[in-house]
Amino acid sequence: MTMIDLAAVVSQVRRGMIPAHVYGDPEIFALERDRLFSRSWVFLAHESEIPDPGDYVVRRVLTDSFIVARDETGTVRVMFNMCLHRGMQVCRAELGNASHFRCPYHAWTYRNDGRLAGLPFHEDAYGGEDGFARSGQRLLPAPAMDTYRGLIFISLDPNVPKLRDYLGDFAFYLDFYVSQSPAGIELRGPQRWRVKANWKIGAENFAGDSYHTPHTHASVVEIGLFREPKASKRKEGALYQAGPGAGTTYKLPPGGDFASQLRYVGYPDAMIPAMAATWSDRQKALVADSGFMVSAATLFPNLSLVHNWPQIDERGTVRPFISLRQWQPISERETEVLSWFAVDAAAPEEFKRDSYKAYLMCFGISGMFEQDDVENWVSITDMATGSMARRLNLNSRMGLTSDGKPVKPPVAAFAGPGVAYQGFGEYGQRHWLSQWSDHLEREPVTQKATDLGAAR
Amino acid sequence: MTTQKPLPYDDPAHLAAHQFLVEEAALLDTADYPGWLDLLTEDIRYLMPVRVTTARGAPAGPQPGMGHFDEDMYALRKRVQRLATDHAWTEDPPSRTRHFVTNVRTFRAGPDELEVESALLLFRSRGDTREADLISAGRADLIRETQEGLRLARREITVDEAVLRTQNLAIFL
Repeated sequence: MTMIDLAAVVSQVRRGMIPAHVYGDPEIFALERDRLFSRSWVFLAHESEIPDPGDYVVRRVLTDSFIVARDETGTVRVMFNMCLHRGMQVCRAELGNASHFRCPYHAWTYRNDGRLAGLPFHEDAYGGEDGFARSGQRLLPAPAMDTYRGLIFISLDPNVPKLRDYLGDFAFYLDFYVSQSPAGIELRGPQRWRVKANWKIGAENFAGDSYHTPHTHASVVEIGLFREPKASKRKEGALYQAGPGAGTTYKLPPGGDFASQLRYVGYPDAMIPAMAATWSDRQKALVADSGFMVSAATLFPNLSLVHNWPQIDERGTVRPFISLRQWQPISERETEVLSWFAVDAAAPEEFKRDSYKAYLMCFGISGMFEQDDVENWVSITDMATGSMARRLNLNSRMGLTSDGKPVKPPVAAFAGPGVAYQGFGEYGQRHWLSQWSDHLEREPVTQKATDLGAAR
Repeated sequence: MTTQKPLPYDDPAHLAAHQFLVEEAALLDTADYPGWLDLLTEDIRYLMPVRVTTARGAPAGPQPGMGHFDEDMYALRKRVQRLATDHAWTEDPPSRTRHFVTNVRTFRAGPDELEVESALLLFRSRGDTREADLISAGRADLIRETQEGLRLARREITVDEAVLRTQNLAIFL
């Protein structure tokens, strides 16, 4: 294996020219593991997935398995799923409810807050506390854990900045998806499936690729499922970049007020007052004054969001849906997609049912949008793994002139933070790739190992 | 599904149900989706719940509450219409599929309805370089006897994997 010239790769990426092999290169994948996923905040679960004490789900960051549990006091705990004794995976279910987790190997048992509750023959085998200090032992907690509006994130770096500081200006946009009322969202799912695609491609796509929508998704316009993605409409949307995130919007019909714009995308009157009360004046102004509605977005590195409003029946009823999705890297050539349906927990049951139907028709493994997206991503990855891909730098400079200036100035009357451009352009993808470059340029995170119950 | 015994394999109702499933598979394997829609009742429900890995005998905990499919006739018609456009890229070139239908058990559910269980192994191949996909599933169908012949009124697909190893479900099971 030849060592890649990382500095050269990053320097090309920063010019907006992407060496094609980064979408299928095992050396790049190893760098992403050691320099990016070892440090960045990564989404694991939402609190609505574990509503009651003892509820848990098991999720991964690359190959590291974590138990995300609500303990008996209601506190959310994230614990490395490896027995302290011989290292077996303690919890092998994907979800459930348990007061304790017992390792199948030698029956070491942990409370659902991670504390070691018992090990057989402690006195006989170890001479009690002297040989193995049992008190105070617990499954290794995630090095850093934090939540934002019920979204549970961890970082493998204990020195990571606080989550709210990391989210920065992107939180303004995230709220449209996860905070439509004081009740917050509830998640269903995830659907999980594996695609033979590099994880970066989906993340970049959701960060700002409005240019693909008219052609890749032509079929859903033709069958009358979603009226918006026609090129003439799509290029009116604003593409914004803010904090660690970026996303796309659609331009709403002219002249509408806040309530009428939400009605246009299919929200029932019963939900609109809660949105008006929950969102800030500036958030409401993005909808009412600027006239933009959020659609796809990516929070770096691998959590994407989508909000679309298809027709769900023969009568032409329009209903919006929200999906959270994670691009979980398996290798440079394979990604596990986790796709959740999200809905305001306080929404009427009828709306939840309709919105779920809208989601299933559009996104997830059977979704009519997602099917054609993944076809592209698999094909790119397939092309990127050979030697010819090392001779091609893909042009990701859309929206820039040759001297690096935006083709058009930013949208002046844009109520949201960050910067936004109208028309087609790869601003969001470059914003994502710039953060990717920052991570790859930093040295790997090194951490000391912990001795558990060791001899003095 | 039921505690009653399946109909004997030489029962005319069982033979008719079995033939229905084999003929349906032939339509799906030749991508005759309009012909397939004709085999469904207007009130069809077509479900494929997400499966999860849980401990044996686990007490009720959180559930995904999610399907891979949860379709009515409107949704299925849209899917079929989409595949008929020139822009359903993920099935152009199309998959080569083979629906292997076996383990058919038929139960009398009412004067004009049969409950039919079957096992399905779906082989799916696309292009010339990709590995082929296999999807194994059980199916529980409600098949109605109508003036026009047997029609599918409900299908619940119990897929045998928690993480599906196929690019998408642009096909039907």
